[in-house]
Amino acid sequence: MAFFRRCLPILTREIKNIPLVKHEVHIHRWVAPTLMELKHREIRQGGKKTFPRNTFLEWNLEAELYAFSKRLGEEFDSELLLQAFTDRSYVIKEEMKQTEMDFALKIKDNRELSDKGIKFMEEYVQLYLEAVLPRFPKEGISCIKNHLLSENVLANVCLHLGAKDIILSAEYPVDNSTLANTFKAIVGALYESSSEEKAAHFVRDFVITQLQGQDVNEYWHIEDPWKMLTELIAKTGASIEPRLIGQVGKGTLLACYRVGLYVDKKMLSTGFGETVAIAKEMAAREALKKLFSTEDNMHPINYKLEGMPMTKSQSRQQTMLS
Amino acid sequence: MSNKSLFIKSGFVRAPLQNGVGRYVCQLQRIVLKFCKSHGGSRGIRDFIEQDLVDFAKNSPGTVVYLKPRRHRSPVIVAEYLNGDRVWMSVHQKTHSEITKWIENLRTQQGDVAATRLRKYQYTDHPSIQGPWTPFTFKDPELNTAVLPDPKFGANNRLPVSATEKLRLLFEKQKLSDVQTAE
Repeated sequence: MAFFRRCLPILTREIKNIPLVKHEVHIHRWVAPTLMELKHREIRQGGKKTFPRNTFLEWNLEAELYAFSKRLGEEFDSELLLQAFTDRSYVIKEEMKQTEMDFALKIKDNRELSDKGIKFMEEYVQLYLEAVLPRFPKEGISCIKNHLLSENVLANVCLHLGAKDIILSAEYPVDNSTLANTFKAIVGALYESSSEEKAAHFVRDFVITQLQGQDVNEYWHIEDPWKMLTELIAKTGASIEPRLIGQVGKGTLLACYRVGLYVDKKMLSTGFGETVAIAKEMAAREALKKLFSTEDNMHPINYKLEGMPMTKSQSRQQTMLS
Repeated sequence: MSNKSLFIKSGFVRAPLQNGVGRYVCQLQRIVLKFCKSHGGSRGIRDFIEQDLVDFAKNSPGTVVYLKPRRHRSPVIVAEYLNGDRVWMSVHQKTHSEITKWIENLRTQQGDVAATRLRKYQYTDHPSIQGPWTPFTFKDPELNTAVLPDPKFGANNRLPVSATEKLRLLFEKQKLSDVQTAE
């Protein structure tokens, strides 16, 4: 009995250590080989097929187009909207089918609308950027504009407006060029069926807002900032003077130099780098940002400008009059 | 992080397409309600369709609503979002009020948020406000006008107090207290 009592604590400890409930999920031995076999069969038949959403039973093109315009809060002409969603490849495919069946039904594609749309967008984005970045040079503005109207950006916008499934195209899933083209056509359709102001606000809300949280200086690569800066400063009649205002760890791997740029003995900007030349270039870049008022701590771009922004010459005339 | 979430797609807290900077766009693009007309499991969703569906469709015109009656199969809601996500949800034997709440949840979320693991609870495009650190970032401005070498800036005060120095200080403190008690 005494022996049993002595063993009791050891026994109870052992019992505690034996897991009573197993938390493992039991998966049958046949599951993995079956899944593998199914995967092999799928590959043998030419990969996974994605069926277009518009071939599903629960699909109503008319309702989709209605919801599309309501979602964006715009009034579209329904025929123009359908035309904006019709890609050229779809029209060609349909015509081939029709010649086989011996009848002709005219379908319009979106090329005309997309031309109108891109023309309007080019003009509006240029004006808008000039209005919100008044001191940024023209070359820079055109670089930002090219980024905003590039295929990738427009395709991304179009995808997130839910056009992917509605587009009538020969291929599925549609590629980026078709998406970008459709977005241009949608803008064109809105311009035609609503007003210029509505189309402008649409472009502002969906395209120009893509600059939110981005650094506008990154879209414009300046080859030689020092040359540009000296030319700009020379126009005002002043001269610029770079000074080495700090150096640490000279002749080591961790060398750091700091250059300050002075105009009339007043500091314009500073820059640092591992050599004096790099530090000077960085200082020049910083100074250019200051001159263009696009510093890192610049006020966020205004995304609420109403109507068509005025051109530079118009606004200058107004300030002269007042 | 639990073992289960190892294979979940990860992401950050983001608004799709800068939603709300320009204008707000409801991200639910279409919703399909699949149900049975006679089975008891579809009772809740049938009640929802009879009482609330028309109002729901009126209040959210940007969402396409499809109804798909299927004989003797359990009810399902499939929500599709603008970013391409598809949320499948079984509403078998759920009551009318539960379904109302779930549909409101599906309407207001921006994608399949339950299937993403958040890497962080915040997100920023600009992790640094003041730019990269340089040796000159927190430099004392007094140094600009100082004439070097200066004992104030050249003093070696970075080493910790040595053991000998500590003992000496203790000894002097003790001497002081001895003098005080004698008085």
